[in-house]
Amino acid sequence: MNYLKNFLATQPGTQPTGAETIERLCDRVQSSTLLDDRRDAVRALKALSKKFRLEVGTQGMDILINVLETDRTDGEIVNYALDTMNNIMCNNPEDDDDEDIPQTNGEVRQEPEDLGGQFTEIFIKKLENVQLLLNFLEEYDFRVRWPTVKLMTTLLCNRCSQMQQIILNSPVGVSRLMDLISDAREVIRNDGLLLLIQLTKGNAAIQKIVAFENAFERLLEIIVEEGHSDGGIVVEDCLLLMMNLLKNNNSNQTLFKEGGLIQKLTPFFDITEASPGGGWSAQKVTNLHLMLKLVRTLVSPNNPTVSIAACQKVMNTCGLLEKLCMILMASGVPADILTETINTVSEVIRGNTANQEYFASVNAPSQPPRPAIVVLLMSMVNEKQPFVLRCAVLYCFQCFLFKNEVGQAQIVQTLLPTTADASAISAGQLLFCYLLVNVTILPITNHGKYAPQGGKLQTRLGLLILLCSWLSDCSIAVTHFLHNATNVPFLTSQITDQAEEDEQLAQGLFALLLGICVHYNDNSIENFTKERLQQLISKRIGLESFEDKLSFVTKSDHYSRAARSPQPRYDAPERVLLDYEFVALFRQYEGVIMKAVRPKTKEEEQAEQKTIEDHAGIVTQYKELIREQDAELHSTKQELQEVKVKLSETEKQLQEQASMVQQLRDQYSLLKATKGRESPQVQQTEAGGGAEEVARLQGELGDSKRVLESKTQQLMERDRTIEQLKNDLTVAEAKAAVREASEDGDAGSTEDSTRPLQERIEVLTREKEELRTQLSSQETQIQTFRTDNEALKSKLSAQTNGPSPDAVAAETAALQAKLAEVESDRACSEEENRRLKEQVQNLQLQNSQLQNSQVQNSQLQNSPAADGNADSAKLEEEVRRLSEEKKRLEEEAETASKEQDDLLVLLADQDAKIKKYRDRLKELGEQMDDDDDDDGDLEDDEDYEDEEEEEEEDGDKEED
Amino acid sequence: MSYAYLFKYIIIGDTGVGKSCLLLQFTDKRFQPVHDLTIGVEFGARMITIDGKQIKLQIWDTAGQESFRSITRSYYRGAAGALLVYDITRRDTFNHLTTWLEDARQHSNSNMVIMLIGNKSDLESRREVKKEEGEAFAREHGLIFMETSAKTAANVEEAFINTAKEIYEKIQEGVFDINNEANGIKIGPQHSPSNPALGGGGGAGGSQAGGGCC
Repeated sequence: MNYLKNFLATQPGTQPTGAETIERLCDRVQSSTLLDDRRDAVRALKALSKKFRLEVGTQGMDILINVLETDRTDGEIVNYALDTMNNIMCNNPEDDDDEDIPQTNGEVRQEPEDLGGQFTEIFIKKLENVQLLLNFLEEYDFRVRWPTVKLMTTLLCNRCSQMQQIILNSPVGVSRLMDLISDAREVIRNDGLLLLIQLTKGNAAIQKIVAFENAFERLLEIIVEEGHSDGGIVVEDCLLLMMNLLKNNNSNQTLFKEGGLIQKLTPFFDITEASPGGGWSAQKVTNLHLMLKLVRTLVSPNNPTVSIAACQKVMNTCGLLEKLCMILMASGVPADILTETINTVSEVIRGNTANQEYFASVNAPSQPPRPAIVVLLMSMVNEKQPFVLRCAVLYCFQCFLFKNEVGQAQIVQTLLPTTADASAISAGQLLFCYLLVNVTILPITNHGKYAPQGGKLQTRLGLLILLCSWLSDCSIAVTHFLHNATNVPFLTSQITDQAEEDEQLAQGLFALLLGICVHYNDNSIENFTKERLQQLISKRIGLESFEDKLSFVTKSDHYSRAARSPQPRYDAPERVLLDYEFVALFRQYEGVIMKAVRPKTKEEEQAEQKTIEDHAGIVTQYKELIREQDAELHSTKQELQEVKVKLSETEKQLQEQASMVQQLRDQYSLLKATKGRESPQVQQTEAGGGAEEVARLQGELGDSKRVLESKTQQLMERDRTIEQLKNDLTVAEAKAAVREASEDGDAGSTEDSTRPLQERIEVLTREKEELRTQLSSQETQIQTFRTDNEALKSKLSAQTNGPSPDAVAAETAALQAKLAEVESDRACSEEENRRLKEQVQNLQLQNSQLQNSQVQNSQLQNSPAADGNADSAKLEEEVRRLSEEKKRLEEEAETASKEQDDLLVLLADQDAKIKKYRDRLKELGEQMDDDDDDDGDLEDDEDYEDEEEEEEEDGDKEED
Repeated sequence: MSYAYLFKYIIIGDTGVGKSCLLLQFTDKRFQPVHDLTIGVEFGARMITIDGKQIKLQIWDTAGQESFRSITRSYYRGAAGALLVYDITRRDTFNHLTTWLEDARQHSNSNMVIMLIGNKSDLESRREVKKEEGEAFAREHGLIFMETSAKTAANVEEAFINTAKEIYEKIQEGVFDINNEANGIKIGPQHSPSNPALGGGGGAGGSQAGGGCC
């Protein structure tokens, strides 16, 4: 200060201008190396900052910010700098009566508007500046913290939303500011409250964060500490902040309710003991007023219905509503508070049955006790009461009846006085009497005869509103109204009259009434049917004019004012013209009526008629259709049932049939087998050809077997004949030997002649032996055939049991292979036979030779007859017999050869058959090569062995 | 009002991972498939019981969108628990966990209990993040882990309750300073030695039961 004084003192004559001084001071702040000097300079700037805001701001702002950054450790200089900045930015400086102000008044006045705002903008353009301030808030030093709070508040006042965004972007910004209201130093706490009020204005995000930081609890604590409504302005600030947090912020309202804080509001309204002197301080009134507003915020009709209901319930159960009602009935409550309390009670009970019931049960502490509603209504109808109070009661009464059918019914019941007792006044009576006094209508039941023309506008509008509400959505009322033939002409005349501005509102309502008469007309009154009224409107009033009159209502101030909120808010009694409920009604009917009064063009009418007829037709059509479909459905269901039964039966049958088929199949295969044996040629079908083929082959195999058997028999027979022949030969030999012995001379020769014979016979016997062995081999072959046949049969039966085509194929292949075997065997046996035949021929030849030799022998015998006649005669006889026997033998040989021929023929037949088989097998064989090959290999081996055997046999023969 | 403790939670994580649905399932026991984008922060509350003690959970459901990040940050400091949620059918939400965790650790008090939640476990067919990966991440960063489905309500209760258990244990161990409400923990009125008259708002308890359900 010394510096300043010196500075000012040095030039007493030519006092420097403020700007010059500030320039020097700024220079000083920047250039001084000593902290003390800088501090003094800043202090000087601070002193000038109120008078020379513009100068200090323009020249010193950056310098001051610089000081804040560099000298932040020195609380004092920071304090000066912050104060200076606050001074230049604050548009409404608290006048701490600076003695210099009158001196420089002229200069101050010249500063541009919203200078502080502009400086604020410059300051917050740099986000670091705000962050700097937020960091200062961490400083506990009072000299730093307090001016920071003030400066922040100023900044927020000037550029609220920008500051809010900056603070939001700092993660701890809001919580640091929240810490302020926990500061033990009341000054900081209180200024912190002011700061938070600014901070939370209109920013839901910040409101929520502040609430999250336990703001509600802390604020309620402060209020309690300060003594509720008796507390000072701090309580007011707390309440303002709470209002900010709750208003239109559903999330915070939920948190408030959820945290059980509504209950904590109850003690706020303990005012009975708090009015010792009877007088209420202005602050107390304000506080209480705000407390009531706080309650109303929670149950405002603008909130979501669910949350309103929840809050209303809590308010009733925690006794808050009771406390409010006590205030209502208390004496000495200022009218202002009383009004607001009534409004609060209104909203606490609005649309909540339980609360409405409670309210109805409240009695005023009078003698005799009267219901609070009646007492309130008495105030309402008392024109000496303040108008706002009367409006509040009206609102309260409306809220009481809102969605309250029981209450409505009760009021209706008491409309007319029932007892002569003057003290027993009912609410309905009160209202009714009031109306009677004020309104110049006589018999209300006959509403045609009222004369609204002459009455006050307010009264007329009231009556019109009543009529509109009454007739809307009620055809019977409309009919009654139209029954009075004078009503409609009266309405039309009112609508068509020239009118002043306020009267136009009434005309609009008249138009609405007429419109309602059209819309809810059931055409029961001949003269005033819908159509006639429409014609009347279009001819007498004109549609455009009618619409104009209607739409005038929505354009009027009264309309928009009433539409704003359910609570009646009027400046003066004569302004009470329209109310919220009527506005709702008007909104509902405006469009409907516009449509209803417009007479339908013929096309439209026809179309409508048509559509109606169509509708009727369509409906009947559909009905029939539905009936038909129903019947169909029914029959279909029955059918379904039947079909189901049938299905189950059929399934049973199917099962039976399946088993039968199985049996039949078995039988069939059996039959096939037997049939195949009987007539193999007949069976030649395409499907299951394999099995049939096999069966047929089997049959043929059987045939061939039989043939073979017969052949063997024949062979055996031949064998026997050969045996006989041999025996004969031995007999002949023996005879020859006897003859030899009897005649010695001839003996040698005879012996000579018989020896070759004997030898031949021996050869013959040997050949016979051979034949026999061959036969036995043939027999064994036949045996193999048989076994093969057995195998085939078993396979065939297996095949018929499981007739898969693959198995059949395999079977057929196997069969084929075996047949091939058989064939080869057959070929062998054929060859054998041929050889046998040849041998037999040989044998024949030999036999004939033998005969010849015998003949020669007999000739020889005849020649030596001379020698010994008797002996020779005997010999001759014997020879003759021998020759005869020989002849017989020859004959027998011939028969044998014949038989052999037969055998040959049979063999040829067999050959042909085998060939046929072979062809067929070839056909089959083409189809299944793989199996064929496998089996074929085996067969080849077998064949090879057979061949070897044959070769051996051949070799033996050759050796022979 | 009869609660022993009040815990403040926040739910964080990328947008669309089902934070609001988890809260709705926990507080209202219902699932809303189409949910409006959360603007800023929404609030919900429910009472639970741990160790025979009534505990009130106040839950702030944050917006996942980047533009609300700064607002979200303001809530870390005052929360006792955080549910960090990702979507098992979207790998990017899992990849962003590190960023979320850094943010949370930076702005919260050091004792805040963080529960990692892999939500939408009902969409097994669309899974992109294996359960093991979530477990590994949780182990690595010292978090509790759980997979939940806000749709089927699987593990939803458990997620909130287990977090509360963890906080409760920390209180028992004396880790939390329960007298500092900035930690997101508050002692119930009847447990508070300071002001019984205030909390005993008469028969308020009955009314609170009604409030507690929503």
